[in-house]
Amino acid sequence: MKIWLLALAALPLAAQQAAPAAQETPAAPLTMPETTITGSVDLGYRFNSVGGSLDTFRSVVDMGSGVRLLGLDLTIESATQKWFDRINVRGSGWGGDPYTTAHVDATRHDWYHFSFDYRDIAYFNFLPSFADPTIGNGVFLDQQSFDSHRRMMDFELQLLPGHWIVPYLGYSRDSGFGTGITDFVNGINSYPVEDKPRDSTNNYRGGVRLELKKFHVTLEQGGTTFKDDQQVFTSNQNFGNNPGPFLGEQLDVTSLTQAYGVRGDSIYSKALLTANPTPWLDLFGEFLYSRPDTNVNYSQYNVGQFVDLTPLLLYTSELDLLTGVAKQPHTTANLGFEIRPVRRLRVIESWMTDRLHNASSAALTQQLLTPAMTTLLNSFTDLLVMNYNREQVDVLFDLTSRITLRGGYRYEWGDGLTNGALLSGLPTETGQLKRQVGLAGVSYRPLQRLSLSVDFEGSGGDRGYFRTSLQDYQKARVQARYQVRQSLVLGANFSVLSNQNPNPAVNYSFLSRDSSASVTWTPNNSKRITLTGEYTRATLRSDLNYIVPQDFTSGTSSYRDNVNEASTLVNLLIPGFGANGPKLSVGGSLLRSSGSRPTDFYQPTMRFSTPPYKHMTWYGEWRYYGFAEPFYQYEGFRSQLVTIGVHFTR
Amino acid sequence: MRADNLIPRAWPPRFASAPPPPPGTRPFRAGHPRALVVAATMYLWAAVAPAQTPPADNKPATYAGSEACQMCHEDIYKAFQRDPHAAVEKDKRRGFETRACESCHGPGSKHVESTAAADIRNPAKLPVAEADRGCLSCHLNQPTHVGRIQSAHARNQVSCVTCHAMHKSAEELVPRRRAAINAECAGCHTAEWASFQRPYKHKLPEGAMSCVDCHNPHGSVLAHSIRTVSANEPGCLNCHGDKRGPFIFDHAPVRLEGCTACHEPHGSANPRMLIRAEVRFVCLECHANTPVTAAASHTLGGVPPSFHDLLSPQFQNCTVCHVKVHGSNVSRELLR
Repeated sequence: MKIWLLALAALPLAAQQAAPAAQETPAAPLTMPETTITGSVDLGYRFNSVGGSLDTFRSVVDMGSGVRLLGLDLTIESATQKWFDRINVRGSGWGGDPYTTAHVDATRHDWYHFSFDYRDIAYFNFLPSFADPTIGNGVFLDQQSFDSHRRMMDFELQLLPGHWIVPYLGYSRDSGFGTGITDFVNGINSYPVEDKPRDSTNNYRGGVRLELKKFHVTLEQGGTTFKDDQQVFTSNQNFGNNPGPFLGEQLDVTSLTQAYGVRGDSIYSKALLTANPTPWLDLFGEFLYSRPDTNVNYSQYNVGQFVDLTPLLLYTSELDLLTGVAKQPHTTANLGFEIRPVRRLRVIESWMTDRLHNASSAALTQQLLTPAMTTLLNSFTDLLVMNYNREQVDVLFDLTSRITLRGGYRYEWGDGLTNGALLSGLPTETGQLKRQVGLAGVSYRPLQRLSLSVDFEGSGGDRGYFRTSLQDYQKARVQARYQVRQSLVLGANFSVLSNQNPNPAVNYSFLSRDSSASVTWTPNNSKRITLTGEYTRATLRSDLNYIVPQDFTSGTSSYRDNVNEASTLVNLLIPGFGANGPKLSVGGSLLRSSGSRPTDFYQPTMRFSTPPYKHMTWYGEWRYYGFAEPFYQYEGFRSQLVTIGVHFTR
Repeated sequence: MRADNLIPRAWPPRFASAPPPPPGTRPFRAGHPRALVVAATMYLWAAVAPAQTPPADNKPATYAGSEACQMCHEDIYKAFQRDPHAAVEKDKRRGFETRACESCHGPGSKHVESTAAADIRNPAKLPVAEADRGCLSCHLNQPTHVGRIQSAHARNQVSCVTCHAMHKSAEELVPRRRAAINAECAGCHTAEWASFQRPYKHKLPEGAMSCVDCHNPHGSVLAHSIRTVSANEPGCLNCHGDKRGPFIFDHAPVRLEGCTACHEPHGSANPRMLIRAEVRFVCLECHANTPVTAAASHTLGGVPPSFHDLLSPQFQNCTVCHVKVHGSNVSRELLR
């Protein structure tokens, strides 16, 4: 139904009178322009065939069959400019595609700017290789799977009463819903059960921007509300992932209801400032404050045969009620300046602090039905504190008009505090951050069409929050771009990150390298043929020590990823039919990776289009997806998607 | 005071190619604190600056008006009418009325007389910082530029016109369509774009998202120019609001290191865009069972401790049981 409604939206485009032919003499200056609608509409029918794992296909591609509004892009320009100057309408994927988008914006000069954005993205994920504890028995069930949607929309209205004051109002909403499988964990067993996630976040905001000659201030006040009504349930007997008896009892769940009633709200404030009090000094600063709170009412009722290990207790039903609250004031401030004491020299200094403190408490009542009724009361408190600070200074010097040198220094420090892990015996755990980073860079433009930039940062390393945090690291990036001629552009990038943590308890070694090259060829102003292509090779090597839990021997977590990826697209205008003749596009991408999870993923595509009329093009598109993983062959798939459609333009 | 009358006093001859300052700009004066700084660095300047030959004709150029530009640059002039900057042609406030071309290219009277390229300011041939000053003479005091000065783009001399094409349509000046935005970014960030060809990724190639949904190309208070939402929350939470919390039991890395502690946001061959091929290694790399030495190394999370038998498939994916791995409102062990 939606697709036809949207097709109706395209009717004005089709009904639009053909634009009058260009007149030989210029139009008289006082001629009132007509309201015009320009743009394109792309309608099609897609056929798909899938071989191999349909679940993996849906997890990766998820394109289905049927009629689709594949693209809508209209611009309406008003003749009278009474209510608007211009309205842009865009949309894609309507009719059942997993990525549905819509966008409308309208502007009237010196009056307002309005925008609306909508997205509905389907998230399907069912990969047995991800979470199937019973895979050794040949069971292919992803116990952390979902078939859900995330739907986002955003409205914003900016009023433009003058050149320097811009009040604005905004509203956005993000919601998720669907179904899935999750695990109900109880004692020594876990049971795959049905999951029905449902959450939403609303954001309301209003503010004003003052844009003056010497400074700008933005003040915004906003608030959010959040709710999470996830439900987990089952009414079928389930023996779980440990189907064997425990103390002679067969553990199972026969009925379960978990209801999460989570409500949250937040107020937040934002103040932004830029100023240039003199021509050689720019100031900037921002103050951001939010205070999200969460209130939790959770209930759980489960029936079956269960065991509680602390204390050892067998019981047949359980009723849990939990109430809790969490508060998290969060303050961020940033201040800096750029000073230009002489023409070629710039000094940029900035300070930043980010402070977050989550304090929470909860009370849990458990009623367990043993031969008698046992009631357990527990109360919890938890905390998470983060204090992060950063100071950075950069000095940029234009050695010549073609070379800019940059040097700098960044100091990051902070601490994190959490409650200690349950069995560690520690009341709290503290992580500390202390990082002194040297910065350097060169930008070189020997020719107007050739640019080269080198960016480097490195730190001797001191302390990081986590074992995998940046410690003793060097990071570099080289980018080159050469426009050989107007129609030919070459690019090359190289980046490397090396990170080491030699602490004997960690012994972390990480190295990643990305190298890529690209070419864009558009001869004769793209009239006949265009070619774009790129090739990337990315390698990643990571080794980190850990203690194997079951026998406390030392192990190494090693990860390798060596990727070769290439993509290209060639557009060719078929000779002999003029500038508006049939076109052929051939391309796609190819990815082969080896290492810890070898994967081949091919996405070739071909499209042929021919315009029977000036404003209409028929097209057919073929797209192939081939996915293979040698370690998980049961997840491979091959799919062909064929789309036939019509593309209207005005 | 007319803007063109200010130019000779505001900008010394070596600044002749700099953009005209807005009306009211204070002129350069001896005794000003800036002059002291200039003097202190003069020897360095003299060492590296090429010899400056004073122009034969020191008389500064004046404004010629856009119509004079149109006489020779008809095609550019026509294309420029589709550019939102065409509105500058009516900008009385900044003194650019009928001088839209010269608002960026500087006074053009000499160029009109000589038609020599050397007599007009061409931002494409200027040092990036100097070219950007031209844009910023109007666009500096706007909210998008709060993070600009410290952004990676600014530090790496990526000029405004690298992304914003002048003399063209509104869409080419500021790409709004997702595919156009992504193409713009991918032009330089080739390797990042290649990551989106991996099977598990955010849906950018499909047109459902664009790079600027997550990144603010003008800079941000967060690393990697990540956008902020609700004041100071990372932009990831704009779509994944269910992961925001605060939770009764937070999982520290989500707050301290962000989503990238466990996820590769551009794309991965690993399900759920994880940074490791198996979930257990994502967890074990922090929860490494190294109690004493981990405390000595000032890191969090070293001590779960756990006694799980990782040889059993049941324990090879920690999230089978620790289902609320992003934070739980019920269980400290993130079990429900």
